[in-house]
This record gives sequence, C-alpha cells and structure tokens, in this order.
Amino acid sequence: MTTTETRAPVLELRHINLHYGSVEALHDVSFSAYAGEVIGLVGDNGAGKSSLIKTVSGVNTPDSGEIIVDGERRHWRSPHDSMMAGIETLYQDSGLAPDLTIGSNIFLGRERRRRGLLGRLGFLDQRAMEREALTQLSRVGITIPETNRTVSELSGGQRQAVAIGRAIAWAKHVIILDEPTNHLGARQSAEVLKVITSARDHGLCVLFISHTLPHVLEVTDRIIVLRLGRVVRDAPTSSFTVESLLAAITGLSE
Amino acid sequence: MAASTQIEETPLAAPTRSWVRRTVTNQQFVLFVVLAGLIVFFGLRNSLFFQTGEFSNLLTDFSGLVLIALAETYVIVAGGIDLAVGSTAAVSGVVAAGWIQPMVNAHVNEALVLLVGTLACALVGALAGGFSALLITVFDLVPFVATLVTYSVGAGLALVISRGAPVGYDPGAIYWSASGIGMVTWLVAIILVISLGLGVVLHLTAYGRYTYAIGSNEFAARAAGIAVRRHLVSVYVMSGVLAGLTGMFFYIRSGSGAATTGVTNSANLIAIAAVVIGGASLTGGIGRWAGTMLGAAVLTVVSDGLIFINVPPTWIQVVVGALIAVAALLQTFRRRSRRMT
Repeated sequence: MTTTETRAPVLELRHINLHYGSVEALHDVSFSAYAGEVIGLVGDNGAGKSSLIKTVSGVNTPDSGEIIVDGERRHWRSPHDSMMAGIETLYQDSGLAPDLTIGSNIFLGRERRRRGLLGRLGFLDQRAMEREALTQLSRVGITIPETNRTVSELSGGQRQAVAIGRAIAWAKHVIILDEPTNHLGARQSAEVLKVITSARDHGLCVLFISHTLPHVLEVTDRIIVLRLGRVVRDAPTSSFTVESLLAAITGLSE
Repeated sequence: MAASTQIEETPLAAPTRSWVRRTVTNQQFVLFVVLAGLIVFFGLRNSLFFQTGEFSNLLTDFSGLVLIALAETYVIVAGGIDLAVGSTAAVSGVVAAGWIQPMVNAHVNEALVLLVGTLACALVGALAGGFSALLITVFDLVPFVATLVTYSVGAGLALVISRGAPVGYDPGAIYWSASGIGMVTWLVAIILVISLGLGVVLHLTAYGRYTYAIGSNEFAARAAGIAVRRHLVSVYVMSGVLAGLTGMFFYIRSGSGAATTGVTNSANLIAIAAVVIGGASLTGGIGRWAGTMLGAAVLTVVSDGLIFINVPPTWIQVVVGALIAVAALLQTFRRRSRRMT
C-alpha cells in the first residue's frame, strides 16, 4: 500500500493526550490511517492500546488533541457518535447477542421496519433483514447456510466472523478489531484473518489489535507500536520480523 | 483475492428429519401435548370437567394469571425478574376500590366507574413498576432485591390501606363480570386481546427485539446504540401496569378490592412458574409468548383439574413444583443435546 500516502487519510489522530486521574494513558499520540489499509496496533499490557481504541470509538474523551474522520474534525459524546461517523468497533468477546438470530444480530440497533403504518408502529421486516444479512455476509466472503439460526448455535470462529461481517456491513470508514482471534484455534483464526483481508479489499481501514504477533505480521500493511502511552514505531509491516517487533514492544531495540 | 470463509456446519440433516426433531424437542409443542393430555385425563376421571361452565371457569382463572405471567415474560427475557407483580395487583385493586367507591355510591354509570377504576389501577401499577425501575437503573440494585422491596412495600400498603378487610362493594361490577357472548365474558375477551397484543409486540416489533437483545447481551445491546436503561424502565413500568390491570380484574370479579384476593404472595411465584414452564431462561434472552400462554394454561388446568378429581387443594403446590422441575430439566437436557450436535 505505497500509493495510499498521497491520498487524504480517512482517520487522523493529532497529539492525543489522555489521563485517568494522575495516570498518563496516552501521550501525544498522532497517526494517520488510510482507506484500504490494515494497521496493526501492538504493545505490551498497559501500553495504551485499549485507551487508544476507546478514544477513537468514543468511549473515552481525550484531554487534548484532535480526531479527524474523513477530513472532518470530530468530538464524540458517546460510542454511538463514532458509529454514526462510520467507525465500527468490535470489543473483546462483546459483539453479539447469542440468543438472537444471525440476521437479527447484523441489524441490531438498525432494524429494518415494515413499510407504512406498521413500520411506524415498530413492526420489523424480519424476512428482509435475514435476506440482506445473507447478502452482506457473503459480500465479505462469509457464507452461511441459513441466517435464521441463533448465534449460540455457532462455533467461536463463526461468531467472530459474523461479528466482523456485521462491523464491515455498517462501517463507512474504519473498523476497529480488539483481539478478534483471542481464544480461537488455528483454523478459526485463519477464517477471521481472511475476513479482515476482505474488509481491506472493500476499501475499509482496519485497526487490528492483537497480542498474537504472527497474525499481525500476516494480515497488516503497517504496524504501530505503543509503549507507555506513546507511539514508538510506525512503519510498514515488511520492515518487521517477529524478533524486531518484539524488541520494539518491550523496548529492547533502543 | 476475495476470501471465502465457508462456515462449516454439521451437515444439514434431511429436512424432514430435522423438522420432526425440531418439533418434538420444541418446548411449546411438548407443552401443547401435555395440556391436551391433562384435559383428556381430567375429563375421563370426571366428565363434569368437560362441561361448558367449567370451560368458562378455566378461561376466567387463566385470565387472572395470564397478564402477570406475560409481564414476567418481558422482564425475564430482558434478563431481570419481578417479584412484585402479585402485591402490585393487590395494592392497586385496594387503592382503586377506595377511589371509585364514592362513584359507586352516587350511582354513576357502571361503565364509567370501571373505566376510572381501570385507569387508577394502571396508574398505581405504573408507580410500583417505576419504583422498581428506579431502584434498578438509578440505584443499581439487582432486580431480585429491587422488586423484593417493591413487593414488600406493596403487600404492606395493601394491608394498611384495606385494614385487612375488603375495600368497597360494587355489585354492578360483579354483574358485568358475568356478561359476554356465550362462554366468553367481556372481561375475559378484553384480557385475551391484551395478551395477544403483548405477543405481537414481543415477537414482531423493535420493542420486543430490544428486550431480547438486552437480556441476551446487555453490552452488545448498548454498543448497538439501544437505550438500555430507558428500555428497562419501560419494561418494569409495563409489568407494573399489567399487574395493576390484574388487580382490576379481581376487583371486577369480587366487586371489591382486597389485600388477599387471588393475588397473595404465591401469585408472583405462579407467574414465574408459568414463564419457566413455558421454556424461558432466567438468565435472560430466551422465552416465548406461546410458551408462557401454554405454561399459564397448564397451571390453570392442573389447579382446577385436581379439584375435579378430588385431590385436596393443598396438594396443588406440590404438583406445580413437580411441573416446574420437569420443565426445567427438559430445558437443560435440550441445551445439552444441542451443544453436543
């Protein structure tokens, strides 16, 4: 993704500072992210990864600094604001309501209503939702025999694929994935990584947070390394090996 | 290249077999069979059970239970519990009876009296439900404790206000409670229509969908932009209103409000029993309208039918306990077998 640098970034953070009381969680964090790019966000526990994605998604409000989405400066009052601006966040183990069908989950909070008076009374068009869910998922390469089964009937990898598919379906600009391959076996992880690649192919920017460095090296175009709330490296993935990445994370490379 | 992630599944069984299997392991289907079996059983033991008058009695007893059972369904599906429906029915019946007695004494048109009474019951019920909701959403009490508070306050107030005796006397109400078309009284018809409406809302509207989403994964619901707190408030207020309407139901049948009329402590537990027998999970997110309707029907038929076959009423609770146990075990078994496939 060498050509992306000439385009305007879809997400830009400028000099973000964040404190929890007296604890400095983020210090002068700046970076740009472009459409069609997968960015790996790595760092040790407490390096500021969670603080950073919560700031981008509107859970945290930074003390200072700017968030610019698609050229527009933004202030989030709630996570809902970031959703409306085209940023979808998938938190660890939180994504789906297990007792609802796949289709209902894809449309959760954005339900299709029936036409006319019934729709205004809150009646749902369940058939349209199941049908569109199927289309949306297959668009990103997830094929499911039927969407009218509940999420609780799916395996861990399938659930994660559906959750990411949901994020892709609604995100206009950015999807943030927090440890999406956690607790998954090798084959299920591979499924999830494929879906991430597919999100990039659809022109989205993906922020991929993971402790599993081989996954990060496999799927990302660029890696941002955080340490003690600061960005210490921001470089193309091709310039890293597992060893050099580990060194950057732990601070041994200095 | 575009990735294709085939979500592999246990190969779809031959459609007919899976359909048959789904039906047989479906809790509502099982309940339907049980209900039919019970009716036939009681009828064979005592043919009086098949009389039309008894059918009318069953419908009336069912009506006294179904609204609080459906209220409980919403609350339980949303991941909560409401222990206050019985006492809310009692206190709203007592309060409304006191308010409308002057109208009765002044010989105001009975329809107007009952309408005002219904509104009064709904109002008191909404206040009780709102009180539970306040404790849960603002003071962060768990639903069990919050509604236990409401239950206790409501039951106490009902006794204090009524001084332990029936409040008011309204023969016009009793007279109206028997009117209707054939076996179905107007009172029963109104309650059945409300019940049907509650089913439609639960399964076909965004309101119902949010109720399931919150009970299934509150965090996901919030992340999806659902106003979780506001929704929970509305669910508890609705539960209170339905309990209030049940209070009015008992007022109409007996012509007075009493702290104990059919809405004693056990009403809460019978309502919860109907929901659990209907296949709902107390962990939230699971439960269906048809299940609760059938659960309430089974409980009604059992408690009436046991009397017909000369089982002492004291045994009814034991049988209800056994029914809950069987329903719960069936659910556990079903969940386990599904996980294994």
